[in-house]
Parts: sequence; C-alpha cells; structure tokens
Amino acid sequence: MKPPGSWRHETVLAAVVVALMVGIGLVNPAFWTLANFFDLLKASVVTGILALGVLIVLISGGIDISFTAIAAFAMYVTCWISVSLGGEGSVLLGLLLAVGMGTGLGLINACFIGGLRLPTLIVTLGTAGVFHGFLLAFIGTEIINTLPPAYVRFSRWQGFRQTLSGGETIGLSVTVLALVAAAVIVGVLLRRTVLGRSIYALGGNPEAAHRIGIRVARVQFLIYGLVGGLAGLAGLIHAVMMRNANPSDLVGTELNVLAAAVLGGASIFGGRGSVAGTLLGVWLIVVLNNSLILLGVPSYWQRVWVGATIVVSTAISARRRSS
Amino acid sequence: MAAGLESPSIPVPEGASPGTPFAALHGLSKRFGGVQALDDVSLQLRAGEIRCLAGENGCGKSTLIKLLSGVLRPDAGRIEIDGDSHERLRPIQAIRLGIQVIYQDFALFPNLSVAENLTLPGLVEQRRFWVNRRSLRPAAAEALANLGVELPLDTTVGGLPVAGQQLVAIARALRQRARLLVLDEPTTALTHKEVEVLLGVLRRLREAGVAILFVSHKTREVLDLADSVSVLRNGRLVAGGAGSDFTPGSLAEALTGRSVGGLSPSPRADLQESDRAGPRIEVSDFSVPGGCSGIHLQVRAGEIVGLAGLLGAGRTALVQGLFGLNPQARGRVRVDGREVTPDSPEAAIGAGLAYVPEDRLSEGLFLNQSIERNIVVSTLRSLRGRWRMLKPAGVRSAAEAGVRQTGVRTQTVTQPVSTLSGGNQQKVLLARWLATGARVLILNRPTAGVDIGAREEIHARLRAFAADGLAILLISDELPELASLSHRVLVMHRGRVAVELEGNAVEEGNLALELDGLA
Amino acid sequence: MKRKTVLTVVSLLALAGALTTGCHERSPVSPPTGSPERKFTIATVVKLDGIAWFNRMREGVERFARETGHDCFQQGPPKADAALQVQIIEDLIAQGVDAICVVPFSVEALEPVLGKARKQGILVVAHEASNLANADLIIEPFDNHAYGAHLMDHLARFMGEQGQFAVFVGSLTSQSHNEWIDGALARQKAEYPKLSLARDRIEEYDDQNTAYQKTLELLKAFPELKGIQGSASTTAAGAGLAVEERGLQNQVSVVGSGLVSQCRQYLESGSVKLISFWDPADAGYVMNRLAVRLLEGRQIGDGEDLGVEGYHALQRDTAKTNLFFGAAWVDVTTNNMAQYNF
Repeated sequence: MKPPGSWRHETVLAAVVVALMVGIGLVNPAFWTLANFFDLLKASVVTGILALGVLIVLISGGIDISFTAIAAFAMYVTCWISVSLGGEGSVLLGLLLAVGMGTGLGLINACFIGGLRLPTLIVTLGTAGVFHGFLLAFIGTEIINTLPPAYVRFSRWQGFRQTLSGGETIGLSVTVLALVAAAVIVGVLLRRTVLGRSIYALGGNPEAAHRIGIRVARVQFLIYGLVGGLAGLAGLIHAVMMRNANPSDLVGTELNVLAAAVLGGASIFGGRGSVAGTLLGVWLIVVLNNSLILLGVPSYWQRVWVGATIVVSTAISARRRSS
Repeated sequence: MAAGLESPSIPVPEGASPGTPFAALHGLSKRFGGVQALDDVSLQLRAGEIRCLAGENGCGKSTLIKLLSGVLRPDAGRIEIDGDSHERLRPIQAIRLGIQVIYQDFALFPNLSVAENLTLPGLVEQRRFWVNRRSLRPAAAEALANLGVELPLDTTVGGLPVAGQQLVAIARALRQRARLLVLDEPTTALTHKEVEVLLGVLRRLREAGVAILFVSHKTREVLDLADSVSVLRNGRLVAGGAGSDFTPGSLAEALTGRSVGGLSPSPRADLQESDRAGPRIEVSDFSVPGGCSGIHLQVRAGEIVGLAGLLGAGRTALVQGLFGLNPQARGRVRVDGREVTPDSPEAAIGAGLAYVPEDRLSEGLFLNQSIERNIVVSTLRSLRGRWRMLKPAGVRSAAEAGVRQTGVRTQTVTQPVSTLSGGNQQKVLLARWLATGARVLILNRPTAGVDIGAREEIHARLRAFAADGLAILLISDELPELASLSHRVLVMHRGRVAVELEGNAVEEGNLALELDGLA
Repeated sequence: MKRKTVLTVVSLLALAGALTTGCHERSPVSPPTGSPERKFTIATVVKLDGIAWFNRMREGVERFARETGHDCFQQGPPKADAALQVQIIEDLIAQGVDAICVVPFSVEALEPVLGKARKQGILVVAHEASNLANADLIIEPFDNHAYGAHLMDHLARFMGEQGQFAVFVGSLTSQSHNEWIDGALARQKAEYPKLSLARDRIEEYDDQNTAYQKTLELLKAFPELKGIQGSASTTAAGAGLAVEERGLQNQVSVVGSGLVSQCRQYLESGSVKLISFWDPADAGYVMNRLAVRLLEGRQIGDGEDLGVEGYHALQRDTAKTNLFFGAAWVDVTTNNMAQYNF
C-alpha cells in the first residue's frame, strides 16, 4: 500500500471536495440537483479562467495581481466600444477585442518583467493601480447598463434547457464552454509543449533555465501575454453574465483567485501546479461560497465558515509535503 | 547506482579525434566594478584531454566558466571553437557548439522528473514545439545507460541524493553531444566512493574523445586525474603544464602563492596521559529513528574523534540527535559525568555541546548580519545588563575576542558575514560556539568548500582547541583531513558504528579500504 | 538593479497617483439668472465623481446656482476613497468657501477635517450621514424605518399578502441598510401576519454578482419563496437577473432600492416589480438651499418647507436636534420609469 505521503495533491484535494459535497448533500438534498450543478458550473467560469492564468504565472515562479485590473479594463473598454458602435453587436468580435486588449496589457507587464527584469510582485502591484486608475480617470466610472442585444442573447443561451414542474426553467450556460476551452488550452500547453515544460523549468530553477538555452524573457512575454488574454476573456464573460459592465467589478477578487490556485496545489515559490488541481481549487471555493444558504449558515458566520474550511482543506492536502 | 561500469558506450559527435584542439581562449578579461575578475587568460582545450583548472575560491574560475558557456560577455579577448573565432558566445550557441558545463549547483530542475531533466534541454535546443511524453523515458534511460548508471526515471530530481543529481547533470550534458565538458568543483559534496565513480566516468569520457575542463582546488584529485594543469590566482594564469610536472607541494604553492607547510599535514598531537582521566562526553545506546541505532561512543578532553562513512550512513542524524535537533532521539548522554537530556538545542548548549552544521550558509550563519551579531547570537543571555538590555560594549568585546581566538581575517566586526571568504565564515561559526563555553564541539564537514589555505588554518585551530581541553567530534568525507586530525575514527555504516580505528591505524589507506569495503 | 527597481516602482506609483487624483478642476457654473443680496460660495463634495448618481446630484446643484445666483459647484474624488475626499475638503478650507455640503464616503474619516472647517467659520451641511458629529445640519431624504416599511407595503401587495420572503443588505455592518430592513420587518410583523421570513438577512457585499448567486441559492433552498426585498442598489438587478433566468417572474416578486438605469431591463421583463430611490438632484438642491438659509442666519425647525417635492415639511429627529428628514422617496415601476435617465 502506498503511504499517504506519496498521494498526489490533486487526489487528496479531490477527496476533500467529494467529502464536502457529500456533507452538504446530507444537510440539504437540494444540493444534488441538476439546477444546482448548472449554477455552480456557471459560477466557476470567471474565477476558473482567471485562476488558470494565475496558475501559469505561479508555475513560472512569478506572481500577478494585476489580472483583475486587466479583466476590468478589457471588459469595460470592449463593452464601451461595442455600445458606441451601436447595432446588434457581435459576441465573437467582442471576445476577440477583449482577449486582444488583455494580451496587450499583459505584454506591458511583460516589458517590465521580461525586459527590465523587475520583480513580478512589484510590477503587477504598480500596473494594477495604473490600469484601473486609467480606466476610472480617463475612460469612465459609470456602469454601462445596456449591452448590445447580441450580448444579452448570448447570456441567455443555455444547453440542456428544461422546464421543471413549478414552471422554473434551468439550463447550463454556454459560457461554461469558455472555461472548458481555456482549461484544455492551458492543460495542453503546460503538459504537452516544450514551452509549457519550459515554464515549469523556469519556476524550478530560473538560472538553470537560462543556462539550458530557454529564452527566459521570451517565455515571460508569452506568459504575461497569455495571462492578460485569459483575463480579458474572463472580464468580457463576466460582463455578459451580469448583462452590464461595471468598471469596479472583479478588481479586489485577485486574492480569492490566487487562493483557489494555491489550494489547487500551485506553489507560490514556483515550479509546481496543475490544471486539474486548480480547477478543483476553484470548484471547492465556489461550492463553499454557494452552499451557505443551502446549509443554513447564519449570515454572521458565513465568512468564518468559508475561511475555516479553506484553512482545513489546505492543511489536509498540504500535510503530505511536510511529511 | 554504479552498475554496468565496465561497458560504457558514450555518444561522441563526429570529428572529435583525440588531440585536436577543440577550444582556445585568447586573452580573456572581465571586470566587475572595481574587481578584475579575469585578466588576460589564454588556454587550450583538446579533445581527449583532461585539463584541470586549479585555483582557490575567488580566483576567477567561475567567471572563466561563465565566459565559456556564454552566460557572461568578456570585456576583452576572444574564444575560438573549432577554429572559428567568437567575440562572445550566447548560451544557446555555446550548447550548439558542444560546450556543456556541470555547475556546482548542477543547474537541474528540482521540480521535474529525472527523465525530463535529461530530455528538456535537447527539446529546447531543437526548438521543438510538442513534447512527446512517451518518447521521453526511453531516451532518458538510454542517456543513463550510456553513463553506466541507473536512476529512477520518474522521481523528481529534488528527491535524489547529491551524487545522483550530479550524475543526472553529467548524463544530461552528454546527451547534448558534449565535446567539451566543464565540471565546476564536482567533488565537493561527494563521498570518497562517489568521487571514485565520478573520476572513472571522466576517464572513460576522455577515452571517447571528449575535452574535459575539471575545475578544483583539491590538489590530490587534480594530480590524480589531469593530463594538463592550469593554475589560476587572482584572475591570472600563474602556472601551467603537464600533470606530471607538478608535485603536491609545487601545486599547493602555485595555488596559494605561498609555501604551505607541506601537504602532508603535521602529525596529530599526542594525547596527554592526564587528559585520559575520564570522557568529556559519553554516549550509550543512542538511537535516532530512521537515522542511527545502538551507538556507543566517548570522546575525552583533548581528543578529536572522526566520524567516517558514506552518504546516508547516519552520521548527520547522530550528531543532530546529540544536539537536540531531533525530538525522537533516544539514549543516554553524559557530559563530564552528568546526565543530559538533549531534547532541544537550548538544552544541548546548556550542557556544553556545540554544533557547527554541514551547510553553514543555510543552517548556521545569518549572512547579511554583521560578524559581531553572528558571534554573540548564542550567548545573548549572558551579555544582558540592567533591565535585561544588551550592553553594546560587552557585545563588542565578546565578538572581538571570538575573532581573535579563531583568527577571522577582517577589518571590523561590524561588516556582514557575506563579505568574508568561505574559510573565514567557518571561523565565525566556530567563534560563536566557543563563546558558549562549549566543552564538546561537534563539526559536520567543516572544510567543505573551503580553500586550501583557510583549511590549513582551520585544522590548526581545531588542534589548538583540542589541546585546550575541548572534546571534538568531527564528521568529514576528506580522508586526509580525518587521518591528520583524528586520534580515533569511527566508521559508520547503515546507522551503526561498523569499525573503530585507533592510533597508527588511523591512516588514509586504511580508511579508504574500510569505506570501499562497505560500499 | 536595486536602484532601477526602486526608480521604476516610484515612477509607476507616481503615474498611478497622477491618474487617480489629477484632472478634476471645478466645473464652470453657468451665469446666474437670479441676483441674491449677498452672494455665497458653496461647495458640494460627493463620494465619487463621474457616476450616474452624483452626475444627477450635480444637476440639482447647478439648477440651484442658476436660480439663486449663488456660486455653487460640486466636486468629488475619482475613486471612492476617504483620504481623497479629505484632501478635497482641505483644499476648500484653504480657498475659504462659505459653506460645504458633503456626502461623506466615511463619516469617521471626515470628522476631523469637517471639525476644522467649522472652526474656521465654514458652515457644514451633510447628507447620508445621520451619525456625523461635526455638522451644522444633516438632511436625510427620509426616515430609514419609514422607508423600509413603505417598501414592505409594496412587497406585501405584490405577494398577495402571503408567503415566504427574504431580505438582503449590503453588509451586516451597513447602518442604513439594516435600519431599512428593521423598519420593513417591524411593518411586516404588525400588518402582514401571513408573510414569513425565510431566513436571517443575507449579505451581498454591494456586488451584483453576489446578489445574483445568492438569489439562485435562495430559490433552491426555499422553493416556496415568493418575495425578495433588497437594500443595496445592486440587489434588485442581481436578484432580478436570477429570477428572470429561472423564468419565475410570475412566482417571485423583487422590490428594493435601485436605479432605473440598472434595473430597466428587469422592470421590463417583470422580474423586478418596483424600485425605490430618492432623487439626488433634489438632495443636492435642498442641501444648498439649507446652507443659504443658515448662512442668512435663519433658524431651521420642524416643518420647514424647502420648496421641493418630498421636502415640504421637514421632520426633526427626536434625539439629535440638527438632524432632519424629508419624505422624498420616489417609487418606480414600468409605468413611470421613462421619466428617469439615471
């Protein structure tokens, strides 16, 4: 039998998640309904896409806290442009625009990090302020409440749609496909490409990465560009889901996203982390946050409950590292 | 690990016929700020030749290696590879030309598997896009087989012992069609047996026509291995020639620039009969789970007892247990006849024990703090004055006394320890422990990474401390060091004391014999 | 390397600072149509510049200036940040304005600087700050308990005076939200015995996404739920989105505070039945009118008429003598939402 110490982090975390879900289901069977799983999946989309971006940065040994500012920026400017253009609008065009804009802002980070070799925390702390400040000061602080009709139609688009006996309709938001696509792309990148393995190598030993001929600056441009692009994607999807674009949304959630990635096994010291683990981390946090009413946790205790569960889950899944 | 040593088949690129010059350095110079790290250095590296580059710490060896591998750009001079002249090399270019460096830190990826560490550089170099995970393992297994070693392919490299990591680094270099293999201080962290394996591998590479640049300050290895020798001091080449042109004495003199009191160390001081009265420290039936078991030993005042053994023999576990670093340690420990329970370092210090750990940088010293603070940190309690505040004057004089006693070479006690050489850092650590009024001094590889001049000095100090009545327990992998310092040597194997050598039997040849017998 | 790092960080921070504090000059005031005996300079300082709510307030301030000829203008920080608001007030003290009308972002953070202003003889009128100490007069659009109770009246009507309902607050520490809910629950107990509260008040952190998620969860946890009363302006939109997505417009009624611009699509789809707010333009207008009256040396008492709908008969607080309430809430349904552009 394998000693517990050699179990993979993801396996332990998955067990914790399953135990938590079984527990919640015992308290309130409404947890195990199709409607609830559709809701939880939809709630995972934005955090999930952001966390995948953070995962890449963490593996490379860096840290990024500007991605929510990038997401807000790309979201707001894209919506502002689409509304200004008038007409039906096109979601595909909007997505391209948001991803492009996010990539551009990510490349600004890359210039400081890969070009000038500055510490990632300091750079992204600075650019987070600059991006969000620029957005509020020069572009707008007003919530855009009316998105183009195509966006609204997209937000209503659901798969597995069905009407329950009480007249209630449920369905799986099509935006979940964006998370699936992002997970597949990041997963293939990290596991199957030389670039992905180079990112792990960079996080494991940056000096050695340089010595075996990995062009570190180039890899960093790719990393931060990609993170920016993912942030742009997440931002626009958030706007579509909310059917408005609020420039103060998303900013401030970066620590939650980082927590999800770290809970999923990514090391803040670099070199370690996986897509599966990150998705599990996101899922755990989403399940926690969206089961408080089902569990009947009093409002005063909700933050305590969420915080305590995260600490306990981390402790359980991190035990093997110390042993 | 060393299976199949007899039939190596090392892949060597076309055109590497022995004797032809592979690389030539012409007048390389490099400055860092006010320091001339390298000054007009020229040398030739031939296929099928082992050249040793000898020099003490800070002589410019690392700079030379970095120029060769393209990590640094020379201020002046050029590098000629296969007759083509280069003003500077880029890392990827150096690799393509067949230059491979095994750094002291091996430049491996601790978070990746052995297989990936072996194969990733090739993929990067060939600008591949996809990784075919299935083809990684056979390729990696082949690389290890070519070297004649076996390692678990799926283990992360961070989980391998140091010697294993080094073999991975060498296997990786060879996979890259190395025509010039540069090894930077490759034996520092290896045990005697492992060094022999390594030297064997290098000799076979020479047969296969690889040019080898072996960087070391250990005269014994240099003379053992080298076809030709170049000696670097203060950034200049000060001596060179065929290996046979040097004797241990002449090489040591070239290295240090002064005549070292003979390479064969001064004979150990004889124990005074009066000191034989009773043991300073007496350990009986001492065990550390997973480390050592059933250990009995005693060290008398004025005695130096060596602990020899292979890596993992339990020596470090034993001394850490004695010093209270492992709460699971069990057994009887008496210091000067009094029973001691070393369940914490504080208790051990209180009982008169001092421990200078193996890795002084990570376990011992606060590098960015001053010499003074490093020396007094274990004795702060005794330096308090009224209201339990530290007395600056007392601290200063305690620190200065420590510096005098151990011979740390420094202007002031306020400069950070990081500005000192390895040998002087080691002395600071010694000073700290002497300040605690220790009666038993435990040292773990005290001269690893310390150059020859400082080593001699540390040896002299240790003898003096013993003569003053300290009992010293010394872990070392350097057989000459053990042989010259120890009155007795305990050879450990698999957590137990396997052999005890005493008196005239404490001698290098015997030690080597005992250790080889255990492997 | 180290120096380069420090330099870059400093310049990045400086740039960020410039972006968030600069470029907010006083807006020009249109020439007055009235001509007062004595012309006062009155500054209105709001929480946040550039958002719809305070843009609307500016309309009221500027209308007052136009009608009376006083020099009235509005300023606010580009970011919701108490320190920036303090800085603006410091500047106004240095300029020597006659009165400051303020909508504090944080009452605690503003106490010292407003105390300083009053020591220098500047009159302070506040809005949405019933617990502020350093003010000559505080004007609230309505009594919080009465406002919450009136929303409950509407909710009960939409629910047919029976069934389960839930209540939201921005946070459990938000004073006004909790007073609204206190008023609502008191009214429900007194008047609507067939209504029952599903669970304790739910926090949504002034975030529409959270309001949306919590509503979805409520609908699953309490399948019999018939009504939701929100407090923060984000609740109505978030809850409305959830109800609309589930197609439950005919089963679940949402009422709450909110703005027409945020809730128009949900009012249209019927997932939000009614929203209520007070008109910031009127609030800006009456703050300035009160400032002028006080500067002219008039006493303000119970029943004071400010000549604006909802502020015709001010009500003085029973405990705090400088705190006054109007009855200035505006209820919006599909019938009248076209009148409002914010």
